[in-house]
Amino acid sequence: MPYLSQAERDYITEGVQSDLRADGRGRLDYRALVLETGIISQANGSARVRLGDGTDVLVGVKVEIDQVEPDADNVGKVVCNVECSPSASQQFEGHGADDLNNELTQALQRVLGGPQCGINFEKLCIIKGQQCWIVYIDAMILDYSGNVLDTIFMATKAALFNTRIPKTQIQDLGDGEFEFEVLDDVEDAERLDGIENIPIGVTLNKIGTGHIIDASPLEELCTEAKLTIAVNKDSQICGIQKGAEGGIEPGLMSEMIQTAKRIGQSLIQQLDQKLQDEEQQVDEKRLNGENIEKLGFFAMV
Amino acid sequence: MSRLELLTPEGLRVDGRRPNELRKIIAKTSVLAQADGSAYIEQGNTKVLAAVYGPQEVRHRMQILHDRAIINVEFNVAPFSTSERKKRSKNDKYDNGIKLQTSQFPRSQIDIYLQVLQHDGGTLQACINAATMALIDAGIPMIDYVCASTAGCIDKQPVLDLNYLEESSDSPELTVAILPRTGKVNLMSMESRLHVDMLESVASLATEGCEQIHTILDAVVRDTTQHLKDSLMQ
Repeated sequence: MPYLSQAERDYITEGVQSDLRADGRGRLDYRALVLETGIISQANGSARVRLGDGTDVLVGVKVEIDQVEPDADNVGKVVCNVECSPSASQQFEGHGADDLNNELTQALQRVLGGPQCGINFEKLCIIKGQQCWIVYIDAMILDYSGNVLDTIFMATKAALFNTRIPKTQIQDLGDGEFEFEVLDDVEDAERLDGIENIPIGVTLNKIGTGHIIDASPLEELCTEAKLTIAVNKDSQICGIQKGAEGGIEPGLMSEMIQTAKRIGQSLIQQLDQKLQDEEQQVDEKRLNGENIEKLGFFAMV
Repeated sequence: MSRLELLTPEGLRVDGRRPNELRKIIAKTSVLAQADGSAYIEQGNTKVLAAVYGPQEVRHRMQILHDRAIINVEFNVAPFSTSERKKRSKNDKYDNGIKLQTSQFPRSQIDIYLQVLQHDGGTLQACINAATMALIDAGIPMIDYVCASTAGCIDKQPVLDLNYLEESSDSPELTVAILPRTGKVNLMSMESRLHVDMLESVASLATEGCEQIHTILDAVVRDTTQHLKDSLMQ
């Protein structure tokens, strides 16, 4: 991580004050992002999001069958895991990324692990009291240029949109015993229930007296306090996490939450639109029997 | 033994390739913003990302070599890369015999980080090829490309570039890395049983594969450089 001189710090802070940031953006402008789903064929769902010229997140979703928890026997669960690859920064080599991995994993798990994420957990249960689906969400940070958490949320939402869970057929063996079969047919696989309600995170960084979204690495270094707010499409707040050392004035706090709600709304709308467009294109190609080419890392200029 | 027919009577393999045919290779350099050099390579469905940092100061002073650079390789597999989700230890390390002009950088360190995003056989060869591309992208002087390829043997027929299905069905797999210009063998590794009479033909097939890979990778590097040159001229 680079060190920041006082002059640089002043430059960034003054910039935020006058609504003009170092890369020409305003306080509430997002960087352009590249999004693609379905790039990992071994996963049930996957997505890659590249934000601006840096931050690169790859999310793979895998579903597996496991025993239900004894205290909640009619629900499945979602397990999140975030890993920072050393290709993003040298600091992540060896165990260097452990703290950050934990922090990001927890942040994601807190939002997606409970009912606030909108997924119907009961539908993940296959046989009550016995078996359920577990949705493993693995996010990898391949490249870093600020605002990682928001990118992870976006990539996760996209990957879950792309995820298909195989259908199961339950047989009643009598005596209260059940058996099930996983249907192999890909066409039969279903999307998770409640996918449209999955929230995304909006991180607001407080610099000086102003606050910005989608901070660059240098801006993150000048951040006094930051607030990550998870919002869903109905502008309900699904989680708040305050980070960094500084404090936030109560008045500013509610202003920041309002901003996050507004920004989150428009981000979700754009994301959904993008995902639907992409899916439509893929479906069209499949109907015409054309080869579906995934660009992956070749999508950039 | 699986009952799967790996080689049809017509001599075609499970994915429709001929025995001496490589999978489709696409590669790209400079894919990451932070690293000094980076490359991404797809060999069929095996996808590997490589990042290179350095030459730079050695982090642990004990490791300093006074006459050349040390090379540190970290290898990581994504949990979703295989058909079963697994969490792996980070420290599966490969020593991939990269030929660098390390004597040009005494008392320094070069880090290579490899990330397997999707695994479909031939991880080692893909990692070596990706690392070579990333090192070239980082501008580190090398004697030559290091190109790697695998070859195996199915029903006494040497086959090139095994995929996961072929790799996992008890067929021997030999990985060979060469310096294409001199043809010197840099790495040869096999962890299974192969009749000694077959070894030579399998090894020569793998070497042939390396040369094909060299042509592909060289074209990518030249293309990228030309592109860079053109954009500078404008």
